[in-house]
Amino acid sequence: MKIVVCLKQVPETNDVTIDPVTHNLDRRGLAGVMNPFDKNAIELALNLKDSRDDVQVVLLTMGPDDYAESLREGMAMGADEGVLLSDRAFAGADTLATGYVLAQAVKKIGDADLILFGRQAVDADTGQVGPIVAEFLHQPQITYAANLRLSGANEVTAERLLEDTKQTLVAQLPAVVSVRSELNTPRYPTPRNIQLSFNKPLTTWHHDDLDLDDSRLGQAGSPTIVTKVYAPEPVKRELTPLTGTPSEAASQLITALKQRQLI
Amino acid sequence: MPATTAAAAKLLLQMVDDYTQREISPYDMSMDAAQDFPKGFVDKLTKTGFLGIMLPQEFGGAGFGPEVTATVLNHIARGNASTAVTLEGHFKTIDQILKYGTPALQQALLPTANDRIFAFSMTEASGGSNPMGISSTATREGDHWVINGDKIMITNGGLAQVYCVLVKTAPDELSVFVVDQDMPGFSFGKREDFIGLRGTPVGEIVMDHIVVDNDHLLGKLGDGGVIGDSAHDDARILMGAVLTGIMEHELKISTDYAKERKAGNTPLTDLQVTHRKVADMAMRKETTKLLYQRAAQLKAAGQPYSEEAAMAKAHGSRAAVSAGDDALQILAGYGYSREYPVEHLIRDARAMEIAEGTVEKMRSAIAKAEFTK
Repeated sequence: MKIVVCLKQVPETNDVTIDPVTHNLDRRGLAGVMNPFDKNAIELALNLKDSRDDVQVVLLTMGPDDYAESLREGMAMGADEGVLLSDRAFAGADTLATGYVLAQAVKKIGDADLILFGRQAVDADTGQVGPIVAEFLHQPQITYAANLRLSGANEVTAERLLEDTKQTLVAQLPAVVSVRSELNTPRYPTPRNIQLSFNKPLTTWHHDDLDLDDSRLGQAGSPTIVTKVYAPEPVKRELTPLTGTPSEAASQLITALKQRQLI
Repeated sequence: MPATTAAAAKLLLQMVDDYTQREISPYDMSMDAAQDFPKGFVDKLTKTGFLGIMLPQEFGGAGFGPEVTATVLNHIARGNASTAVTLEGHFKTIDQILKYGTPALQQALLPTANDRIFAFSMTEASGGSNPMGISSTATREGDHWVINGDKIMITNGGLAQVYCVLVKTAPDELSVFVVDQDMPGFSFGKREDFIGLRGTPVGEIVMDHIVVDNDHLLGKLGDGGVIGDSAHDDARILMGAVLTGIMEHELKISTDYAKERKAGNTPLTDLQVTHRKVADMAMRKETTKLLYQRAAQLKAAGQPYSEEAAMAKAHGSRAAVSAGDDALQILAGYGYSREYPVEHLIRDARAMEIAEGTVEKMRSAIAKAEFTK
């Protein structure tokens, strides 16, 4: 069984700035760390690997050369190999263009039974790339899985936690799953596994290593246009103090809520 | 440092910082108050592979070198010095088995050092800094040795399962044997009630007619003094690292507080009296860091490092006590309160003016080294 875990490297700090030209996050020069939610996806893959002898875990990411550090960290957690997609042609990609390149890379990796994602990246917070990859691969997808098990030779069952309900979904493999952080507690890489991770294969694929439609790459392949990024002004609301005894205050509150047709 | 080693060290320190922040720092105050590690704490530390950081890969460890190992303790000590000192006691003991153990002894013991804590025991009621004053003996009886004696003030005493013990094999001959807590005749005595580093168990072992084969001898007969000195040297580098971590902790508490607190209408950060203290703390921290890193670099390069290790500990221990005193003064009443960690950091640092050789002994060693130049 081959599991591909897609991950992202994000700025280590919350103190990021916005590029005044592109209005995107300006990640230049910022130290990066693995997106914390992606560790839950790696942990799920490693749990499956721990429970079976035939599981191979491949990590996949797209970004500059230093994104290899996050791949190495995942390999130190226990993944078998890493693939970095790095090329100037991929730069400036939105979620659609990113998902396209990742999907093409998953095809090249070949025979992936399960493609896992963290629930979203903590820098852009979209949670879109997993579903986009599923669409490009024409595979079933389960998003926000709070638990997951292999329920048959070629089948996975996951429980989704939605706002006010739980949903149990069964998908045929191969499938794409994004996981919630409640799913597990990611393991720490041990010092020994950190050292041994440098003996594991880490491959970089550039533009020419993949079968790509150039019109779908980078900024040219990104339909998202960020026109403005701003912090919303706080809404100033009129405060009406409740006065009198508790009983009187409760009456005032009920009256106010009725006037606003809230009850 | 080779690129792969540097990259692995970066990843390791990232993990250590994350682990320290989540799993160690939250217990810093409670360890001091309870005079113990929290339940399950050592098991978690073991499971995460901390015990094997400097153990060569052939024995199942990670095989990080002296510089990285010391830096790891520096980072852990930012969160809790007791945890770092427990690892220091373990690592210095492993170091001596690597330096002086026969291949057979190494093969028998070192793979277990990934999940068993080791300790080096020299001090007795009759002798600490003067090793010839000890009373413990190993007496040859046929083809084996019989060990008798009491060892006190052992870092990790009561926690460790394997002990390197300094004994007399003749009236003027010191040797080191390795004993295991499971051996008949081995028992634990009292635990010390020290004022600092209270998370680290420091205790007594009693050896009553422990019978060991000759293969439990570390080095050769009569190597005890040399091995003891070597253990001190290795420990002093690591203590310099721990002291640097304590000072980083003291500095952070002080600067965080100064950034929020005002004296009248003046922020503490605008007062020259604060500047002087914070600058002194930073310089003490940085000089100690440079000293321990220099000693670790020399050790990694296979060059003599005894003098530099003594400097790291002698300078660092007084520096950390002084920096703690400055931190206490910056926090004033809060610094004097047990609700803040400053007072226990001073107590923690003070231990290292004594442990692994007093600062007075360090200065003698440094001076003697200078006289020979």
